[in-house]
Order: sequence, then structure tokens, then C-alpha cells
Amino acid sequence: MSDFVPTPNPEQPEDPFLLKGKAALVVGAGDPLGRAAAVALAEAGADVAVASLRAGPQEVVRVNSVANEIWSLGRANAAITLDASNQNSVDAAIARTTSELGSLDILVNAADLPVAIPVDELSPDDWHAVLAANLLAPAMTSSAAGRVMKLNGYGRIINIVSVLAARGVANTSSYAAAHAGVLALTRALSQEWARSGITVNALQVGIYEGQQGFGDNPEAVQQLARMLPAKALVKPEDVGAAVVGLAADSGFITGETIAVDGAATARV
Amino acid sequence: MATPDRFRLDGQVVLLTGAGRGLGRAMALSYADAGARLAGASRTLSQLEETAELVAERGGEAISIATDVTDAEAVEAMVAETIDRFGRVDILMNNAGGGAAGDGSPLEQLTDEQWRWGIDMNLTSQMLCARAVLPHMTERGSGVIINVASGFGLRGGRDNWMYVSAKAGVVNFTRSLAVSYGPAGVRTNCIAPGIFPHTPQALERWRGGRYIPIGRVGLAWEMGPLAVFLSSDAAAGISGETIAQDGGGLAMIGPTGWAPRVRLTEPT
Repeated sequence: MSDFVPTPNPEQPEDPFLLKGKAALVVGAGDPLGRAAAVALAEAGADVAVASLRAGPQEVVRVNSVANEIWSLGRANAAITLDASNQNSVDAAIARTTSELGSLDILVNAADLPVAIPVDELSPDDWHAVLAANLLAPAMTSSAAGRVMKLNGYGRIINIVSVLAARGVANTSSYAAAHAGVLALTRALSQEWARSGITVNALQVGIYEGQQGFGDNPEAVQQLARMLPAKALVKPEDVGAAVVGLAADSGFITGETIAVDGAATARV
Repeated sequence: MATPDRFRLDGQVVLLTGAGRGLGRAMALSYADAGARLAGASRTLSQLEETAELVAERGGEAISIATDVTDAEAVEAMVAETIDRFGRVDILMNNAGGGAAGDGSPLEQLTDEQWRWGIDMNLTSQMLCARAVLPHMTERGSGVIINVASGFGLRGGRDNWMYVSAKAGVVNFTRSLAVSYGPAGVRTNCIAPGIFPHTPQALERWRGGRYIPIGRVGLAWEMGPLAVFLSSDAAAGISGETIAQDGGGLAMIGPTGWAPRVRLTEPT
């Protein structure tokens, strides 16, 4: 066991939250959290490719508009559509990011397929669809990005999940199980790539302002907000800022899940 | 290109206990770099003055307050002096701790006095500082408290009694502060550092980081950006949360580098 060579120490940056020269890929950038992450990364100086799991006209318009925002911030950008169940499509998305932005340093998995259906109404096909979008997609993009990051000896992977990964709510079985799976994926990959300069972390987001799906019922949402110490839901921008915080980290935080939920999970 | 405003602390006042050395000194420098004014407190004035000099060299402003964080009156005086000198306290960084003489022995050998001292140093001290500063923060309707726990606050350690118990107490104390004072505008979070050796001997004792997943120990300066992030508006959505900064230690189980391979076959 005398063959241990310590991982080289990182240099202390002059400006710890600046991402100048870094290239990021945000998957699910048409989602409010994905958009916020992409914009926050660009504001911190990163070049950003934005991707969607769907090729529908609405989704393409949304993702293109995020790409335009990044362009207007003066950063390089690319808009990509990928099919996470297809290895070639995922590899092509990673290849396009590295060719258009010059590298791939940061991967944010923000794609989200919200579902809330009583478990006895879920068919195996429903389960497959929920798991494909919410669990298989981040697994496949991480896997493909990891290959590039391992070669570079540097990477920051940030998986965004819902608070439902950690707390039980009726009718959310498939969605919650998929998101809890992402937390397990996060921990396992943090170990698998621990000596490759790649950190893998998760942000566990509470019900947030403007959320589609789980946020569609205004009365329930108001009730949730009243239960929070801050009496207000977290905002997508708060999640974007937390993404930058993790993306800029020096590398000693890995395998960690950080709740961005206004203390929702801190209380009894 | 500069750091996004949300990550800056310009003009804010941070009261940092244990500021004379180690992680406290490193955080003091990061706070100064982020634009904050510093009230450094600890038992040893000479060490604080060295920290203050280093802050001044970086163009920051710091005062030094000799105190005993286990003494309620001394803590009240520390807060009063900070407000007297700077007019306000925006951030309380509860960093002082350690001093758990008696840890390392079987429980039967532990004296009542050792137990009380360990709990006083590592848990009661943080309560006293929070209690002293909260009236000021709630009156202003804003504030941030950050408690420093440890990886040992989230897992047990062999023959480790006061330290693990007090630090676990800090983790849950953090949650109750977040829940209780969130409505008054005070966010509270906790940092759980892993292995940050201060001396070459300590580095040797931890075998240079061999048993840490990422293959190196933590560097004191790495805690600074995390402290600044949690203190800043960039962490507006985060409260009641404990963030482990430990090179992947808490995400792991088994020997470092354990990477089994099991072929995919049929389910049992």
C-alpha cells in the first residue's frame, strides 16, 4: 500500500466564485431550474450549452431562448436536443458541447418529469417513462460526461432533485423513487470518480416559485409556503446561485446533497 | 469580469469565533476578500492580532476581541463590543470548538467534568453566541448564523464521546434555529468539515489523505469560500442545512477505493 500518491492540492483562486473559462452543459434547460442554473453559470463567467430531452416545438423555443440569454450575457452557447435513452444521442450531445465550447467542465442535470398518480394506477410503462426521464437521463449524461471529465482530470456534476427524494408524499411513488435514485447515483459516482478530479453532488429543491406540476395547485402551494420559516417558497434564482456555489467548489465537497428548500426538511 | 453581486459581502460585519488560527483564520481571510468587516474572537489575543494583520494586508478591516465562548457574560460582552465598534452584526460564524480532553478513552474512564467541558466547548458555546446575537439580528430583521460541526457530528467514532455528541447537537441546534428564527429573517446553516490537519504531524497521522475518497485532506482555505457562500445572498434558499465538506467521506462505506464488479445476470 506504499503506492499511494496524494491527489495534488488545488490552488487557491483569487476569486472563488468566478467560472471564467469553464464550459458547462445544462440538461433540462427549458425547466425553470435548468434555465436559472444556465443563466447563473453564464453570469459567473462560464460558457454554457443548454439541452432538452424533448424535441417538441415548444421545448425547442424555450431552450433556444435560454441560449439567447446566455449569448446576451456575452458567453458562448449552444442549444442541443438529446434522447437520453439512446447512447449515440447522449454521446453526440457531449461531443457537440466540447466542440462548440472547447471543453466540458460542469454538467447540470435539471431535466424533470413531474408525475403524481396513485400507485395502483401506474402501469409498468408509466414507471419506465418516469424512471427514464428522472433517473436514467442523469445517469446516462453523467456517464458520457464522466468519460470526458476523467480525461481532463476535472469535472463538476450537479444533479437537481426534488425534496420528494427525501420525504414521502402521497401519489408521488414513481417520481420520488426516481429522484431518490439520483441521490444514490450521486453518492456512488462521487466514489467511482473520487480520484479523477470529478465531484458529484446534488441539490434537493423544495417546492419552488413557479413550479409546474407539483406547483399547479395555488392553494396547496400557499399552504406549503406558510409552513416554511421564511413564509415564502424558494426561487429558481436561489437554485441557480447554489449551482454556481457547487460548480466553483475547490473539490473537497463531493457525494453531498444540499437542500435548497427554505428549511422545509429541517422542521418536524 | 467580477464575482456576481449575490456572492459578495461588502460592508457586512462578521463575528467569527476561534479566529486566531486554523480554519477560523482561513475563513477570516476569505470573509475579508468578500468585502466583509471582521470581529475576530478567541481566548488568545496575540493570535487574533496576527489574523487581523493578515486581514489588513489584504485591504480588509478587523478588530480583535479576547473572550471565552463558554462564559455567557464574556460572550454578551463580545457581541456588545462588536456592535459598539461596527454598529451591527450581519453574520455569526460559530467556529470555536475543540477541547474534548477525555475523548479517546473507554467511556468507563470518562469523568463527569471531562464530559461537561467537552459539551460546553463544542455545543453550549454555540448556543451562548447565538443567544447573545439573536436579539440584534431579529431587531434588524436579518442575519445569518453558521455553526461549525464536524463529520463526527454525523457518524460515530470509536471512543469518541463528547465531540460526537456535541457536534451532533450542533447539527440539530442548527435546524431549530432555522425553524425558530427564519420568520424573523435569520438564516442558519452548518458546515461539517472532514479532515483538515493543521500540522505536518496531523497530516502524517491521517496518512496524507490515503483514506479519504478523493485522496487528499482538506486545505484550510477551502472552508472560506463555503462559509462566504452560505453567508451571502447566494444561499438565500438554504437554511437549517448541514453541508459536509469532507472529500466524499460521508458518502462512502467500506474501505477507500472499494470498487466491486458483479456481472449482470437474472434477478433472484
